Amino acid sequence: MKTVESEIGAILAGTISVITQRSIFNRLGPLAAMPVSQLSSNDRTTVMTELESSVRLFARRNSGELIASCARALGAAATAAGAAGAAAAPSAKRLPIEQEKDIATARLEAWSEAVRIGLSKFTSVKVATAVSELARNIVFYAGKGAIELRAVRDDRGGAGLQIVAVDQGPGIDPKKLQEIWGGTYKSQRGMGKGLVAVKKLVDEFSLDTAAGLGTTVTCVFRGER
Amino acid sequence: MPIEQTIPIIQIRNCLLVSIQTELHDRLALDLQESLMERVRLTDAKGVILDVSAVEVIDSYITRILNDIGKSVRFMGAECYIVGIRPAVAMTLIEMGVELDSVNTALTLDLALEKLELLQS
Repeated sequence: MKTVESEIGAILAGTISVITQRSIFNRLGPLAAMPVSQLSSNDRTTVMTELESSVRLFARRNSGELIASCARALGAAATAAGAAGAAAAPSAKRLPIEQEKDIATARLEAWSEAVRIGLSKFTSVKVATAVSELARNIVFYAGKGAIELRAVRDDRGGAGLQIVAVDQGPGIDPKKLQEIWGGTYKSQRGMGKGLVAVKKLVDEFSLDTAAGLGTTVTCVFRGER
Repeated sequence: MPIEQTIPIIQIRNCLLVSIQTELHDRLALDLQESLMERVRLTDAKGVILDVSAVEVIDSYITRILNDIGKSVRFMGAECYIVGIRPAVAMTLIEMGVELDSVNTALTLDLALEKLELLQS
């Protein structure tokens, strides 16, 4: 019988370790053991959403191809976000964030990337600071995740740097999120100001979070014109 | 096992000087705060100066640590000065809307010492 687990497991084998696969399938819950032929279209979307974020987080390369193969095996279309991520993947630099020392590494990498693509000295320090905040949030609240850096161009050809911070942590509760933006949230370890600070620093900001599924923060720094 | 990392605290007359040359992570920051307070008590220091001129990025977390150190030093009756904040760091802190309000600041170590002397006379 072709179950989600057997089909997807065969595709991920060799790229993602068995232990990591286990945790991906655990997150899928009862869906993992379902025969592929019995999945509803809602089920397919749920499975693909989970797979896309996991594959992008854990696969060091070929994440776009893997996501496409998974989608084919399940008879589902990759969601727009997945396709966009896959298309832009080759130029991205991916930094795993798993422990406190990774924060410093990410900060340095972000800084040198900002300088490399031609952002000013001041902007580069802002980039490093924003990455520091985002990486710290991952370590404190999600345990592990990753930060992706990607050079982008605006419609006028100006250089910019996109930063995507992804984790599969507990997500941010909507009520807490409201407190964060309202400035009334106080965390145990930080000041509860990290996200607000990042939002003020960057030129574009978006946050995507779901309880139990994790958080993705996407932001862009633009060069001076 | 890695060698236990500590940040040296130097005494100049009745001031304690700390030059931060390394990544201030959780444990290290707490250790620094603790040993600083102990040294203030033992030496009767009137001032504590933290030199951050080697620190290239200060985020909201580090700011909180600096504010906490400032507050605890003030509780002990001494004054805390942060010196050598880089221009880009200052700009970034302003844009983030983060306050360094529990410490005093001075451009250089010399100026901080001068201000501390004025306090004492």
